[in-house]
Amino acid sequence: MNRRGLLALAGGALSGLLVRRSPASGAELRPPGALPPGAFERACIGCVRCAEVCPTRAIRFPAGAGLGAGQPFLALRESACVLCMACTEACPTGALARIPPVPERIAAEVRIGVPVLERKACLPWNGQGVCRLCAYVCPIGPAAVELVGPQQAPLFHPEGCVGCGLCEEACPEEARAVRIELRPGGRA
Amino acid sequence: MSRGRTDAEDPPPHLWTRVPASIAPDAQGLRDGEAHDGPRARSTRKEVRPAAGMSIATSSDRDRGSENALTHLGSPRIRAAAGRTPRLLQPWDVTLRRARSYVRVRRAVLAGSVLTVVGLPFLAARFVDRSWPSGVFVGATGAARALGVELLDPLMSAGVALARGARPGLLAAALPVLLLVVVLGRFFCGWLCPYLPLLAVSNAVRWALARLGIPTLDLRLPGWIRFAVLGTVLGGTAALGVQLAPLVYPPALLARSAYRLAFGLGLGGGAAVVAVVWLFDTTVSRAGFCRSLCPGGALFSLLGARSPVRVQRTASRCTDCTVCDVVCNLGQAPMTDRLDAGCERCGRCVAACPTGALSLSLQGRRP
Repeated sequence: MNRRGLLALAGGALSGLLVRRSPASGAELRPPGALPPGAFERACIGCVRCAEVCPTRAIRFPAGAGLGAGQPFLALRESACVLCMACTEACPTGALARIPPVPERIAAEVRIGVPVLERKACLPWNGQGVCRLCAYVCPIGPAAVELVGPQQAPLFHPEGCVGCGLCEEACPEEARAVRIELRPGGRA
Repeated sequence: MSRGRTDAEDPPPHLWTRVPASIAPDAQGLRDGEAHDGPRARSTRKEVRPAAGMSIATSSDRDRGSENALTHLGSPRIRAAAGRTPRLLQPWDVTLRRARSYVRVRRAVLAGSVLTVVGLPFLAARFVDRSWPSGVFVGATGAARALGVELLDPLMSAGVALARGARPGLLAAALPVLLLVVVLGRFFCGWLCPYLPLLAVSNAVRWALARLGIPTLDLRLPGWIRFAVLGTVLGGTAALGVQLAPLVYPPALLARSAYRLAFGLGLGGGAAVVAVVWLFDTTVSRAGFCRSLCPGGALFSLLGARSPVRVQRTASRCTDCTVCDVVCNLGQAPMTDRLDAGCERCGRCVAACPTGALSLSLQGRRP
């Protein structure tokens, strides 16, 4: 590279550094093991390996060509995460921290999002039926969702929940009472 | 017949392939009624390439009288071009009839790379409710892992290192490809880039447009622009906290588009960016993105600047026919030994050379 090339490289780098953007919003649910918002966007190179190995195709990539186009998100409503941890194993840059597929490690380390229950829509809570589907499919158990009261209605514990979305997927179509949302204040 | 190149500037002296006039003996030049053009072209050539550059083959052709230097070229199309009105030799005059073995190897390697990028997502999409055997192979050209060995594109490694700081794991993933680039230079661009088939189509369209008489521009952007682009991408990655290379780098865009297509999600915005790149290459500048705008190509030419594998010319065999200069997508000039780090080691010039004067070999070693 000659002197002109070096100058161009430096000039380009400077002009690139001058660009500023509001801090990463992290408006999407990221695959398990994802670094906190901000760090994840810095590390992810959009190689789609996580999406390729995902057995349930829960990991998707956005359609656009904007700044967020290269980063995966979870479409939990359509397809839940089965916590196989294949994506964390496939990630080449550590944007998804490696977590072994051991129940204890998963329960302790995976924090995709938090469950939010709309009690008015939930069948046991509004007295329209005996459902319990969310509690049956939950891979974590009572630490994440407990059945309480005479109706055996679900009570979610965000601090114990990994956010896999199996409850969201299982929740009856006419109810759609539980949703996995972003953990307020970022991922643990 | 219209030209692919714009006529505004005088072509460099070594491109004065006013074919019959410049090389055929004087008598014929006079007979053709081109005496005004012949001597001028010849005198220009003499200034640039004095006695030493005049090869034996050329002078023997001279002695034979009725032939010119292009008569012995393999392609009938070249011979036909030589017989027609004098004009600059064009890329489509050259066919790789006698492709050397490594050109075949290159095509096989490229086919494998494209299959990896485009085919594997489709294969992976069939593994419904079963995991892809990622221990054997996962990923595509740019970020692949084969039997546990990470092959990470240096552009991606550089971006992650700048945005997050270098970490041991990242270094280990980057090292295998980094070593390859240091030794082989910008070989990725000529051997593995999944954009290459699209570039071939782009060149074919350029050829078709020229045949139809529709002029296509061949803008030569200054060489420093690619470094400015590389600097902007890497600097922007550090400043924005988002990896920018995956948003503008065709191999990454193509891999993501192929994944989207395979998983039934439509093509997405990445394909639109590739389409813009393709249109630029087709209408504005031949392989112009690869040559002047691709951040990956710029980084590879930086890292591989000291690569010992180079295209080398045996001057005694060279007939100054310009075929090598003309087939090169990236504006290198093997005929005048003017190759820089932008050479992608594709070997197209070596295979096209009608006299076997060029070789792709270790520096200082000539066959």
